[in-house]
Amino acid sequence: MPLWENRRSVLILAGLAAFNILLISIQIPRGAEKSLFERSIFFLYSPVQRAVTGAVRGLGSLWTNYFDLRGVRGENQQLKKEIFFRDQDVRFLEDRLRFFQSEAKVRESLAAFRGTIVPARVIGADSANPYQTIVLDKGSLDGIGKDMAVCDRFGNLVGRTIAPVSLKETMVQLITDKDSSVSVVSAVDRLTGSVTGKSGAFCELRYVLASASGGQPGEELLTTGYDKIYPAGLRVGSIRSLGKDESSPIFRRIVVEPYFRFNTIDIVAVITKAGGGE
Amino acid sequence: MKDVLRAFLATLLAVLVYSLAGGAGPMLLVVLNAFSVVVLYFSVRRGEVFGAFLGTACGLVQDSFSLGVFGVGGLTKTLLGFWAGFVSQRIDVAPFFRNGLYMLVMSVLEMILWVLVTAVVRRESLNFHGGLILLQPLVTALLGSSLFAVERRFRARGSRGA
Repeated sequence: MPLWENRRSVLILAGLAAFNILLISIQIPRGAEKSLFERSIFFLYSPVQRAVTGAVRGLGSLWTNYFDLRGVRGENQQLKKEIFFRDQDVRFLEDRLRFFQSEAKVRESLAAFRGTIVPARVIGADSANPYQTIVLDKGSLDGIGKDMAVCDRFGNLVGRTIAPVSLKETMVQLITDKDSSVSVVSAVDRLTGSVTGKSGAFCELRYVLASASGGQPGEELLTTGYDKIYPAGLRVGSIRSLGKDESSPIFRRIVVEPYFRFNTIDIVAVITKAGGGE
Repeated sequence: MKDVLRAFLATLLAVLVYSLAGGAGPMLLVVLNAFSVVVLYFSVRRGEVFGAFLGTACGLVQDSFSLGVFGVGGLTKTLLGFWAGFVSQRIDVAPFFRNGLYMLVMSVLEMILWVLVTAVVRRESLNFHGGLILLQPLVTALLGSSLFAVERRFRARGSRGA
């Protein structure tokens, strides 16, 4: 087969390129669901990622826990864990109060939230753009599923869980991702809109009419719960600047600075039961 | 079979490096593309066919850890692996500086291709992270050529010992 022998590598390249183009083309227009193939690859390789970060963390903790302040370290970790849950409780309490609920009702809501928070460690960031996704070390075995809100240790919204969710790993879409959308309301002037990411450090508050008054730099934005994904009252970020939207004059252009920071999301809280829609 | 095993181990190695880099700081992932380093290294060593297959594998694994369109990384790295392997079998890229320059050119080509394919597929402007992403080809070339330099040194030491 001289043709095959001479053109073998070119034919292989053509075949592989066609395979990749086929993969790309079946996703356009992009659907919400990831393909079985993509999920399979994530299932196959995410445990490697988990093992690597676990091994590195294990080596680190071997030193800090065994050689260095063995007893104090354990106690400190326990206290940190308790503080983590306390912070979440306090944040929910404050946010619920802001939503004009009676204290009794707030406590009732908090009781519902207790036991529905799963702390998780971040084991990876998006390979193409860190502002898009992160990977957590908890999965379906820990009660995590798709579309669950994820907060940092201070109760600030980080994003939501998306497919693929493997047994011990979960992918999280950050609120800074450009395909992310969170229904929010401003804390003072009650401007309602949708916070959308730009795959960068800042987000945009969209669908606020140019005729709507109010809103000022520094004003806090909270989730409304209308999207049925994020519980109402979670802190999202603050308004950074307001202006005219040149591309769409009927809306205002509002730049939002998210509260969460990459250096504080080593541990996050996954809210496994949504309390939104109020 | 040995080659397939090597390709699989190389992909695992890329995931390992990617995980470590992600743990150290998300911005490190913008400048360091471990998958490209692995594809370039093995393509130069093993030729275009191996490079193309490894490029597909590494690219798709990279895509699975990203929210981008699945297959864009696969396509660009397949072409990267093929061309890096194809050209390196025809010209001498062994000297350190020539090797570095060759990898830089290949990395730049990969980035251009990735930007073009992403722009066509997603129809939107890309985030260049304030120009930080432009350092990626430089870091890839530096790491790739350093790998070859280290390998050469080990081989030279081994042959002297024998």
